[in-house]
Amino acid sequence: MHELGIALEIHRTCREAMAPHPGARIERVTVAVGELTAVEPDLLESAWEAAVAGSPDEGSEIRILWRPARQYCAGCRADKPRAEGSWLRLCPDCGMPLAVEGGEELDVLELAFIEPDGEDTDG
Amino acid sequence: MGESKVVRVQRNALEINRRHAARLREAWRGTGTLVLNLISSPGSGKTTLLEATVARLKDRFRLAVLEGDVATERDADRIRALGVPAHQILTGGACHLEARLVQKNLEAADFGELDILFIENVGNLICPTSYDLGEDFKVALLSVTEGDDKPFKYPGIFSRAEVTVVTKADLLPHLPFDLDAVREQVGTLNPRGTFLVTSATSGEGLDAWCALLEERLAAKRAAGA
Repeated sequence: MHELGIALEIHRTCREAMAPHPGARIERVTVAVGELTAVEPDLLESAWEAAVAGSPDEGSEIRILWRPARQYCAGCRADKPRAEGSWLRLCPDCGMPLAVEGGEELDVLELAFIEPDGEDTDG
Repeated sequence: MGESKVVRVQRNALEINRRHAARLREAWRGTGTLVLNLISSPGSGKTTLLEATVARLKDRFRLAVLEGDVATERDADRIRALGVPAHQILTGGACHLEARLVQKNLEAADFGELDILFIENVGNLICPTSYDLGEDFKVALLSVTEGDDKPFKYPGIFSRAEVTVVTKADLLPHLPFDLDAVREQVGTLNPRGTFLVTSATSGEGLDAWCALLEERLAAKRAAGA
């Protein structure tokens, strides 16, 4: 269970990005998670909830964009369809060995945050 | 209610670990130290492979081992018994090593200049996969008693490890373990990787393994010269 450590780092990355906006709080962070990163999206969601609990960002949302790995055939020069969580060794069309590509993403893409009320109206 | 804003960030989620790893990598480039990050299940034979490796190389190279474990000094003791410096990193429950932890323990260990540093990660095929420790390459170990379906079950580590080492090969005659199937799975996940079959008991494959380490060390020295 390393998702908590990753969630804490994502939180810290967000806080660094929001440094020019004092008092802002996170509304939603969007991350890309590749299939080969050994990060489980559901666990990362729970970990995010725990990571921001008690901070001004409590209740914020983490949106995870799943990036599957691809199986590429050098013979057909094309990606081959595969079932999630399964791998093919040989191309079903030409019999050449398939390679696994992609699925390495673990990136913070976008951050939505709420700035505190601009001019304090002393209302 | 305040104003909502959206900014693009485009940064790796493990950016902070990456920065620490980059500093370690830079330092090891300067000293010409070859650094390996060994990853496998508990009980697959990481420490045993290291015992056999340091016994073969210790007279010609300056070696040290960082041992990552949840608890006990046992693994570091096994390496020290061979006259090679070792430092135990106790993670106290954490399932993987991070670059910062390696940095901190390296300072505490004070090994001096090294030719090869072995980092034995916590026994786990999943969590250590995502963490760069500044190593030259990752080594995945798979013992024949674990079963021949593991590369496709744990694609993260077997696709990233530049070298896959099958261990306990002396037990192959007693097990329904399809070595070719494992070689093919690793080849699919990692077409450019190196695949070695070893036994610390019989000595099989250890010459090839040690030769690979010597080659990689020489290549790193040549690149830095």
